[in-house]
Amino acid sequence: MPDQPDSFQPRTGDSYETFVSILAHYEPDLRRFIRSLLPTHADTDEVLQRTAIAIWRKFDQFDLETNFMKWACVVARYEALSYRRSMARDRLVFRDDVFDLLAEEGAAEEEQRKAEETALESCLEELPSKQRQLVTLAYTQGVKVVDLAEEAGASPEAFYMRLSRIRRSLLHCIESKVSRIDPTKATA
Amino acid sequence: MNPPSEPSNGEPEQLWIEEYLDGRISPADFEALQDRLAESPSFRATFRRYAALDSHLWERSSSEDDEAAMFAWESATPSPPLVAIARPRFVLRTAVPLAAAALAAFALGGALMGVLAPSGPAGSILPEASASGFAAIERLSDPVWPDDSGPRFEGDLVAGELFRLASGTAEIRFFSGASMIVEGPAEIALRSAWEAECRSGAVRMLVPPAARGFRLHGPDTEIVDLGTEFGLDVRDGTARVEVFDGEIALRHRGGPERLVEGGSAWELPASRTETPVDPEANRFPDPIALETGSSAQRATDFHRWTSYRDRLAADDRILAYYTFEEKAGLVPDLANRTGPLAGEHDGAIILAQQVDGRWPGLKPAMEFRRPGSRVRVRIDGEFHAFTFACWVRIDSLDRRYNALFLGDGYETGEPHWQIRDDGKMMLSVMVDDTRPSPYQPDDAGFHRVYFSPPMWDLSMSGRWLHLASVFDPENRRVSHYVDGVRIHRQEITDEYFIDHLRIGNAEIGNWGQPFREEPTFAIRNLNGRMGEIALFDAALADAEITELYEQSRAGKCANGR
Repeated sequence: MPDQPDSFQPRTGDSYETFVSILAHYEPDLRRFIRSLLPTHADTDEVLQRTAIAIWRKFDQFDLETNFMKWACVVARYEALSYRRSMARDRLVFRDDVFDLLAEEGAAEEEQRKAEETALESCLEELPSKQRQLVTLAYTQGVKVVDLAEEAGASPEAFYMRLSRIRRSLLHCIESKVSRIDPTKATA
Repeated sequence: MNPPSEPSNGEPEQLWIEEYLDGRISPADFEALQDRLAESPSFRATFRRYAALDSHLWERSSSEDDEAAMFAWESATPSPPLVAIARPRFVLRTAVPLAAAALAAFALGGALMGVLAPSGPAGSILPEASASGFAAIERLSDPVWPDDSGPRFEGDLVAGELFRLASGTAEIRFFSGASMIVEGPAEIALRSAWEAECRSGAVRMLVPPAARGFRLHGPDTEIVDLGTEFGLDVRDGTARVEVFDGEIALRHRGGPERLVEGGSAWELPASRTETPVDPEANRFPDPIALETGSSAQRATDFHRWTSYRDRLAADDRILAYYTFEEKAGLVPDLANRTGPLAGEHDGAIILAQQVDGRWPGLKPAMEFRRPGSRVRVRIDGEFHAFTFACWVRIDSLDRRYNALFLGDGYETGEPHWQIRDDGKMMLSVMVDDTRPSPYQPDDAGFHRVYFSPPMWDLSMSGRWLHLASVFDPENRRVSHYVDGVRIHRQEITDEYFIDHLRIGNAEIGNWGQPFREEPTFAIRNLNGRMGEIALFDAALADAEITELYEQSRAGKCANGR
């Protein structure tokens, strides 16, 4: 490309750019898939990272005409598995049979998840503003729910309870919206 | 699908899911959770929905940080480069001040939520951001386009189309890695990153190992590239192939596959089998000539532009004119170089970077990729009309609002010139900052935003565009222009009329908010680069905007555009 930013020169030919654009596009989907397999966001990030590296290494084997997510899920699953082995035993790590089931079924539900993600945005809009603020804050990086609760003058339990109610109403809202979406179009 | 049941049925199990995702589940409940997951497919589905929600919410609230981190990664020497995509959050953990601000905001009853919340409402999140294209126009030299097709530009994405060139030379780079140099007149059907058909004209293919297997079709022939450089020339339905280097496999009229090595040429007539002929390499487009041609073109264009620049700087209606040639952290305002205001309008560069502009190596541009990047200016005075014109190359519209030129804060008489994430240009002037906004009670004061129709989508990423907008109180109208063509005009009604205009402190490529005491800031940086921007204390006419574009543009087209 004649006009790429100076710091963004493809170092390994055009496939690098293709890789970056594809990965950037699917990053939220991949992270979501990995999240269902591992206990924390930090673990998820780490495995997402490793997955990106693994995908880049194998990128020349990838046929651009085939389904990227399907392929990437296989890679991510493998990376999550090997990462899990390195985790301490006392962590909240799923045992093998649960891990395999979640990975297997999760990869098959990708399109459904994508549609839900779209619905989530409008569901968030429909939330009462106080609830929306609360959920946004709870997911803001570096914010601890315990601190939020204290700031709001509530116990952590009460705060988690409110959060739980918001999550449920979001899931209900998503479900009602997605069932009205033609699944073939949701991911077109 | 199995929605979570409400409220009692399945309640404890769902709590386990949430406690697990929040990292506060007890060991005993975790075991119970796993047992339940192992035995129930519907419970697993519910679990995944929760996990997805958790991931989306987390991703959503941290995406602003990502941008900063992404930039940090890009501007550092990425070695290996791939760490990029997944790494951001670890690179720039700006979470601490953000978290503090978040708590403060919460304590204040959410008064600052607008600052913290992700920039756009629901509609701004594209379900799937994708650009269509499997190849890009890499270079052009003296291109002339057929009358019935619009001009194409370097950097344009192309996909599944008939690419036609009346004369001149173009290089098309497929995403497979294969490169095609086409000499007009030519008609090439682009089918995928791995396949194309030459219906007429001469092409030269350069196929690196990564693109081995690229297929090129002639009228009666299929050629599979085995990693090579070869040419195909199609005239009057008869084709001729010549291999310069490497090897190809060709199948003519459904006959047996033939391997052809470097240094040999074959004629491929429609009516009979292929026959060997003498090589004539000069029938095919020459990459060196293309390179020379395109750099000669650049030099000519740049030279033409410099005389345009000097004329524009001397225009007495111009308020400020920046071409982004950095001098000691400043971008000089060319308009006032010799007047009493010399230096007064110079802009200060903050985090923005000088990068290649429209003519790499000849003309710089300013890039605003990093969230905090901006060029700050101060332009005092009172004005009676505004015209804004710039050359801009948008990489993507990541923000809800993507800044071109915005007055700090948003006080009475100040302009906001920006692009919304749906590709609409926006120009607005604050009419009265003491009255509530007609749109939202808690938004900034009384003003109207004049939107153009969408003029940009991802397929235009990387293309240089000339944008202009005019705020014309005298004629009571606002107009928007792209590449010298007016795409929108709208009346300024009595209610929104204002003709005492100001700028004061303002920013190019971002927005300086009113909450100056706050460490947080709205992120409106333009993900792209600007080659130049001119501000006029006058409403330029349609013809004048067209003239600005014509005189400063690059290249030429047959159809008079």
